[in-house]
This record gives sequence, structure tokens and C-alpha cells, in this order.
Amino acid sequence: MFNTALSWSDLAFLAQGAGMTLAVTAVSVAAGTVLGILFGVIRFQVGPYWAAPLTFVLDVFRSVPLLIQLVLGNALQAIMKLGWAPFTTSCVVLSLYTAAYCTEIVRGGIDSVPTNTRRAARSLGMSWFQDMRYIVAPLAVRVSLPSWIGLTLGVMKDSALVLWLGLIELLRASQILVTRLQEPLFILLICGAIYFIISLPIARLGGYLEKRWSPND
Amino acid sequence: MKTSVLAFGLMAATALTSQAHADKLDDIIASGTLRCAVVLDFPPMGSRDASNNPIGFDVDYCNDLAKALGVTAEIVETPFPERIPALMSGRVDVGVASTSDTLERAKTVGMTVPYFAFQMAVTSNDKTGIKSFEDMKGKVVGATAGTYEAIALEKQVKEWGAGEFRPYQTQADVFLALSQGQLDATVSTSTVAQANVKTGKFPGISVVGNAPFDIDYVALFTNREEYGLINYLNLFINQQVRTGRYNELYEKWVGGEVPSLAVNGVYR
Amino acid sequence: MFNYTFHWNQALKALPQMLDGALVTLQIALLSMIIGMAIAIALTLFRLSGNRLLGGFATAWVEVARNTPALFQIYMAHFGLGNFGIHLSPFVALLVGIAFNNAGYLAENFRGALKAIPETQTRAGRSLGMTSLQAFRLIVMPQMLRVAFLPATNQMVWAILMTSLGVTVGMNTDLAGVTQELNARSFRTFEFFAIAAVIYYVIAKAVTLAARVFAARMFRY
Repeated sequence: MFNTALSWSDLAFLAQGAGMTLAVTAVSVAAGTVLGILFGVIRFQVGPYWAAPLTFVLDVFRSVPLLIQLVLGNALQAIMKLGWAPFTTSCVVLSLYTAAYCTEIVRGGIDSVPTNTRRAARSLGMSWFQDMRYIVAPLAVRVSLPSWIGLTLGVMKDSALVLWLGLIELLRASQILVTRLQEPLFILLICGAIYFIISLPIARLGGYLEKRWSPND
Repeated sequence: MKTSVLAFGLMAATALTSQAHADKLDDIIASGTLRCAVVLDFPPMGSRDASNNPIGFDVDYCNDLAKALGVTAEIVETPFPERIPALMSGRVDVGVASTSDTLERAKTVGMTVPYFAFQMAVTSNDKTGIKSFEDMKGKVVGATAGTYEAIALEKQVKEWGAGEFRPYQTQADVFLALSQGQLDATVSTSTVAQANVKTGKFPGISVVGNAPFDIDYVALFTNREEYGLINYLNLFINQQVRTGRYNELYEKWVGGEVPSLAVNGVYR
Repeated sequence: MFNYTFHWNQALKALPQMLDGALVTLQIALLSMIIGMAIAIALTLFRLSGNRLLGGFATAWVEVARNTPALFQIYMAHFGLGNFGIHLSPFVALLVGIAFNNAGYLAENFRGALKAIPETQTRAGRSLGMTSLQAFRLIVMPQMLRVAFLPATNQMVWAILMTSLGVTVGMNTDLAGVTQELNARSFRTFEFFAIAAVIYYVIAKAVTLAARVFAARMFRY
């Protein structure tokens, strides 16, 4: 009853695409998180007035469509003759994009630590760094982790846009197969299912942590 | 102070001149690889075989060019919108990507003489009963965004004042939309139309005739200022025709009457 | 320095065209938000209804909307449905795709917001003789919308950003579509997309600001 020209090698092709999606996501989330923590701490530390330029730049990354950012980033590296491969360009743009959101999460996390707790730490003779490391970090991570997982999922889905630069990730791989096999619905459904399978466990973990760490429940 | 300025000026001057000595043609030969931007969802010019490897007229053309230069070819897949950034960033050396040589684009990149010529054909969904170009008036038509035919067709739709024009980002999406009935008809290069209809993957569509657009000459392109390379490419295109290789490739990928690359009554 | 000369003059000539596109962008975003909101309320009701079929449907919707890329959803609305002979124009396909996405995220926001409203209020309403629907409409929903307003504003900004994905389904009247067409014609990628980025930024900021002013007026205690 059900006929398809989809072969095992095509499924392997899709899996390769999914691998690319995961690779781009992993690099971008890792780099974006490091930058996000850095920017978040800076923003919290120097106060809104001095952080205004940084806030503005990060805000731009959250107010311009990622597609436009990718195209612009790519055109810019082209004009500057950096000769980056699409993978590099995609990762750089996505990292900054991730960092912009991560900064907010980190800042919110640090904000959520009561000032009194921190004062207490400092009066115990802890240095600023010790206070950050032993008091703020554990508490802030608890608050931030669920949103951070949400962000990771978001970046994974948004990474589909890198197909615009010619990177063959999951969605682009599906499109190529659709072109060749002309079974749009079936292949797209498989593609959707793969996205779902990748993100569901992470989403569940997020939901679990949210429930477990929620202070008021 | 003055001497240091002078010295700096001299250094800058030597840097500039020495840069000018090694042009892109030298760079390609020195590096041993020729990187071509090719569009791979544009059969028969560029597509993928069953094991998803690049094949097509443009792919072969790039290989020929590499052979002439004595280097190995590297096919860089670029979607249509990515051709130029890829060139600008130095990720590819030459575009062998069925690029129409419009004057607008020549402001940005350097075009060679035409290496291929497309006749425009109308392909329609059989259910719509469209039998000619004029029948498309008032219907939903589409083409690949930014291509020669898309620009001409959109203008025509505006002139007719009826119907709707939809640009898709890839040629594949256009035919997918056409076979699904999202589009009533499309204008595309006749080679592409024939190749797509011939695959039999799109039931219910057929090529119904030519579109009265000018012949779409497509050129190889590289950076605007690389005259040395453009010169070489022009000669290469000339040689391809002279040696019969152009006919051979045409027969292999398209078949039928080989279009002339010369325009009557004018030099290039 | 860059060995590239910017042609800003030529690019700026296209500004009126791009601003027209921006209007279409805003229009799609607004419509998708209204439709998405309506569906999200329905999905929330389904989830509350205790009916397993309706609840399952709502959960499935939310999960799919949140766990697949928006680009995928829009592509599906155009080419996936096209497979069944359902032909949506690019405008409608884009609208359907974004509304689907909005509904999923908003329903999740509402669920969060509902937690903030004590159940005793519904019971109080019921004991005053309201039907459960009345209790939801008159007591729960106004509070739910208030709590969910800020996340909904974010979703609106998201909707604006998502409209840019319409180019993949043949959309050529919105801001991204117009920009891409100008780009394809002249190959001046950076200039056109830089202008588009500025316009998107301004729209996003304007919407956020408007929402803040609106909230300040609406939700005064």
C-alpha cells in the first residue's frame, strides 16, 4: 500500500543532515553560553548606565530576524575577505545570537540571588570571585537552567536557517531529497519527526528540572 | 617624523604593487585547485545523482576549466542567493552557475562572454488548460527568484494587470509547486523545463511552448577587477566552442539543437 | 580597505518599496497573533476540559509547534498541505505557519499563567452559580491574559521575526521578500539587508514600546 523511493542511503543522508544540525547547535550554544555568561556578569556588574552600548548591541541580535543576520554576517565576511566557510559563518552568527539571549538569562539568574546573601558572603571575607563562584553561581544556575534549556532548543530549531548559506543540515537535506524523490509530505514528516526526537528529551529534562527546582511547588 | 611617513608610504606602495602582481589567475594555478560555485538544484545544469554527488553541465564545465588550468576542480554548492557572497569572500574562484549577465549585476561582479544560452519555455499544469504564453494572463505563475525569466515574467504580469506572480528560492520548489497545482504555469529555461518534465517525477505538467522573452545568455563570473582571469575565461569559452566540447556537453546533458552563443550584428 | 565599494545611494532608492514591505510584515504578524491567540485560548480550554481526546490534541499541537523549526512549519503549510491538493497562497501559508507556531507558544504561556491564578477563585465563581465556561471567561481569563501579556509581547516580536521566513515559500511582498528580490536583481547583498535589518529593528522596538504603553494603561490596579 505504501510505496516510497526512499532508500537507506537517503536516510543516512538525512542523518548526516541531522548531525550537521547538532554540530552547529553544539558549537553555537557552547560559545554563546560562554559569551552570555561573560556579558551577563559585565552587565550586572557595571550597571545599566555603563552597559548601555552592550545592551543595545545584544538587543539588535534579538530584534532582527536570524535569516537577515545570517545573510548580513555572510555578506560582511565576504566583503572583509575573511573567506569563512558557511559552517564558520553560521556558527559565529548563531553564537552571537545565542549570547544575546543567554546574557538576559544570566543577568536574571544573578539578579535572583538576594543581595543579603551576597553581602553575608562578602562579610565572611570571601573575595568577589569566591562570592560569584560559591554563592551566586549555584543559586543562579538553578534559576537559569530551565530557560537555558529552552534557549538551547530554540537555537537548535533556528539553526535550520543556516541552509540559506548552503550548509546541508537536516531541513536542507530533506529539501534535496524532496527535489529528487518528489515525495514532499513523507520526507517532510520524517524530517519533523527527527527534530521532534532530538528535542523532546531535552525539553523533558527541562520540564523535570523546572518542576524539581521550582522553589514554590 | 617625515622619514617615517615616507617609509610607511613606500612600504604601503610596495605592498600594494606586490599584491597587484599575483592576480587571481596566478593564485589558482599556484594553489592547484579551482573552486567553482555551482547551483545544484538546477538540472540539467547542476544536480545530484542517486548517491547525492554533484553532476551536470556546469559541473563538467568546471572540470574542463580546471583541466585547462592544470589544476583540480572543487565543486562548491551554492544556492542561488549564495553565489555572490561565496565569490566575494574568496570561498570560490569562479561562478559556473548559469548566471544571467544583466547590466545590473555587472556593476557588482565581472561577467565573461556567454558560455550558454537559454531559450525560455512555458511549462503548465495540465489541469489549467494553458496552451501558450498568452494563456498565462490572469493565472498564478511563478519562477525562480532573481533569475532572468523571473524578472521578465513579473514585469509581464504587472503589464497584464491580472493574475499573480510568485518567486521561489529554488528551481526545484517552482516545479514542486507547479506539479502540486500551487502554480498554474511557470516560465523557465527550456533546458531545465525539458529535463524536469523528462524525469517523470512531476506528473501532470508539460512544456507547452516558448515564451517570447529574449534569449537568456548566461556567463561565468568572477571578481570585477580580475581582468586577467576574465580574459582567460573568455578564451576558454571560445575554445570550448571551437573544439566541439560545447556541442558534446550540450548533447550529453540537454540534447537537440545547440544554441548559438553569438549575437548578430554586434561585437562583445 | 575592504576592496568593496558600497552603493548606498542605489540601495536607498529602494527604501519606499522596502517600507511597503514592512507594512505587509506588520500586517502578517498582527493577523497571526490574533489568530494564534484565539487558538491558544481554545487549546487552553481543551487542556482544562479533562476530555482526553481534546487534551491530547492540544498537547500534541503545543509539542509539535514548540519542538520543530518555524521554517519547517511554514514549509509544511505550503508544500506539505499542497500534497493533499490544499493550495495556500504564500501569504496564507506564511500566516498559517506563524499562527500555528504562535498558538503553541501562547498556549504554553497561558498554562504558566493559569498556575498563578488560585483554583479557589474558579470554585468561588462556580458556587456563585456561574457555569464553568462563565467562570473561565469572566474570572480566570482576564487574569490569565494579564499575567501572560509580557510573554505574549515577546511572541509578537517573534512573529515579526518569523515573517522573514516567507521568502522560502514564494512570498515577495513582505520586507524580507522585497529585500531578497532587490538583492537577487543587483547582487548588492550587504546594502539591502543592512537596511532591512534597521527596519526590522525599528518595527520590533516600536511594537515593544506600544505594548508597554498599552499594558500600563490596561493593567493599572
